[in-house]
Amino acid sequence: MSLHGVRTVAVLELRQRLRTSRWPVVLGIWFLIIGAVAGLTWWAVSSQPVNPAGTLSGDRGTTLYDVVLFFVLGLGMLVVPSLTATSINGDREQGILATLQTTLLTSADIVIGKLVASWAISLAFLLAASPFLVWAWIAGGVEIGRMLLAVTVLLFVLAVICALGLMFSTLTARTIASAVLTYLSVAALTFGTVISFLISMPIMATQQSVQVKVVPEAWYQNHQPTNPEDKVDIQPTAADCVFENREQTVLHTERTWWLLALNPFVVVADAAPSRKPINFLGFEPLQLISDGARTARMGTTPESLNECWPETQPNPGGGDGFQDPQAQQAQQQQAQRERLNKVHAVWPYGFGFLGLIGVGSTLVAVRRLRTPIHKLPRGTRIA
Amino acid sequence: MNTAKVTAVDTTAGIEVTGVSRAFGSVLAVEHIDLQARPGEVTALVGPNGAGKTTLLLMLATLLAPDAGTIRMAGIDPLAAPRKVRATMGWMPDGFGTWDALTVREVLETVAAAYDLGPAAARTRTAELLELVHLGELADRPARVLSRGQKQRLGLARALVNHPSILLLDEPASGLDPRSRIELRDILRQLAASGATLLVSSHILTELQEIADRAVVVARGCSVAVQDLSSDSTSAPGSVQRVSHWRITSLDPPRLMAALAHHGVATQPLSDAVDVEVAGDVAASELLAILVGDGIPITAFAPSYGALETAYLAATEDRQ
Repeated sequence: MSLHGVRTVAVLELRQRLRTSRWPVVLGIWFLIIGAVAGLTWWAVSSQPVNPAGTLSGDRGTTLYDVVLFFVLGLGMLVVPSLTATSINGDREQGILATLQTTLLTSADIVIGKLVASWAISLAFLLAASPFLVWAWIAGGVEIGRMLLAVTVLLFVLAVICALGLMFSTLTARTIASAVLTYLSVAALTFGTVISFLISMPIMATQQSVQVKVVPEAWYQNHQPTNPEDKVDIQPTAADCVFENREQTVLHTERTWWLLALNPFVVVADAAPSRKPINFLGFEPLQLISDGARTARMGTTPESLNECWPETQPNPGGGDGFQDPQAQQAQQQQAQRERLNKVHAVWPYGFGFLGLIGVGSTLVAVRRLRTPIHKLPRGTRIA
Repeated sequence: MNTAKVTAVDTTAGIEVTGVSRAFGSVLAVEHIDLQARPGEVTALVGPNGAGKTTLLLMLATLLAPDAGTIRMAGIDPLAAPRKVRATMGWMPDGFGTWDALTVREVLETVAAAYDLGPAAARTRTAELLELVHLGELADRPARVLSRGQKQRLGLARALVNHPSILLLDEPASGLDPRSRIELRDILRQLAASGATLLVSSHILTELQEIADRAVVVARGCSVAVQDLSSDSTSAPGSVQRVSHWRITSLDPPRLMAALAHHGVATQPLSDAVDVEVAGDVAASELLAILVGDGIPITAFAPSYGALETAYLAATEDRQ
């Protein structure tokens, strides 16, 4: 493999694609869709009633950033397979691959060159969406470093999908088959991982004895109003809670969380979250995905076994010494956020896994393009 | 190193194929082909469709590995050192496509870059080749607008980018107009004269007769005959006067036959003409003079390619 060879193939590939396809039109449509999503999101967060607690509604910038990045990834995973999934068997069908193979270009030159070219096109898609990310950044709330990390991870995920498509285009003789296989693989990574995780939950669940923090039954019996007409409403306090041993079903998501980590959405989301207090009002898909994956990784914790409602829920009664319920809710959400932030990041595992897929796919593709061919797959045309 | 012997370029070695076979699954495409193509010569590869010509050329072009047998291209084993073979070989496939969004010039410059030429060298070589195949005027047109014959010429130029010492051409003349055909013949003869080894596969026997020095007939995956086609006696110095074949057409075939029999000429009657064997060109002109002297109404007296045709027909007789 040489730089010159890779460059030759990449330039050839880009020239071919840019001149034969309607990329300007596709990029224009892409820009409009992302623009529409960004505009609607902005409209939605701007017209949201201002939350009195302030911290809950969050910054409009983070929501915009989150939604735009989510759509760029989602639409990117639909567009990118089409860049490479028919690249090599398509060239074979047109009889233009063999004329390259008989030159001094190695099979690695051809594969890497095609990969670079298709990745450059996916970069163009990201660039077309970048004005909206800049908008989100200007709107505030997102650190530039975090944004760059997210974009880098996103480009990495797209490169892996390019490599996957390229591999399938060397494995099947027909372009339709490789396109279907590539989309199925992307679907397996996106939906298959989540479905496997959901299926794994009841399978991994155990019946076991756990310590649960509750308001004891005894408290209610002791505080039974003697006179039903009595209006005095006595509520338990956190100090009344005790630990009880209880036999119950315990989910062990901490054993299967890695299934979620393989998901490209989780990888990008977990590398990219805005990390602000959990906001149940806003729509922040990446934040939700990241929190979900980290909650799964955390598994069953003392916090999730805390059924001491005076401690975990805002006290509707207010009054003596209790805080303002919304402030209290915010405080609890902040505590949950801190717990989630303390969980080790999930994305590096998926990043590594996707990296293996990418490198593996590339190696397979290089191997499949090696000539002279000894074993020729059925239906494959050489020249 | 063991492979050192077979990875050293020897431009005087040409193409040597010994006992090569290749199957695709259960289909035996090439059963047993022996072939030799010498530098300075044009060797024709003749055979019916499906005889294994293209498969053989793919193996020579370093794309396909033979199941058995050996191939030496300029002394190099394509299995051991395919890149060395590629550096010294040009290949013009049959029915190839082209990067249709590129201009003719860009196609050649891309191929030059693929042969590790720098941009300046690539431009120079491209200009030379455009001149050679007369595509200069179309240089900045997209390759997809070329006619079939123009595409063939571009394909030839592409095969010549790296100054190959071995040139493999699969049906190079198909789709060419008569003028381009003659030009192709001249280019190929020039290349052979400069010492290159040329292997040309074609169906058009008359044309091969003009271009080729020798023909290898292939049928059902086997090389069945080698036919010497060169009428140029200097290519075989000291050899005896070669028998040449002529085809005669007359308005009065029975009289012609009678006259030929009378003069003791070996004949092979055809439906509307007769092929004769005479000892060289001088004897042929003498025979014509005699026949005209006898008053036989001759309408055509031309060299016949009967030998190649006969060899070809014999080899392909039992095809389906």
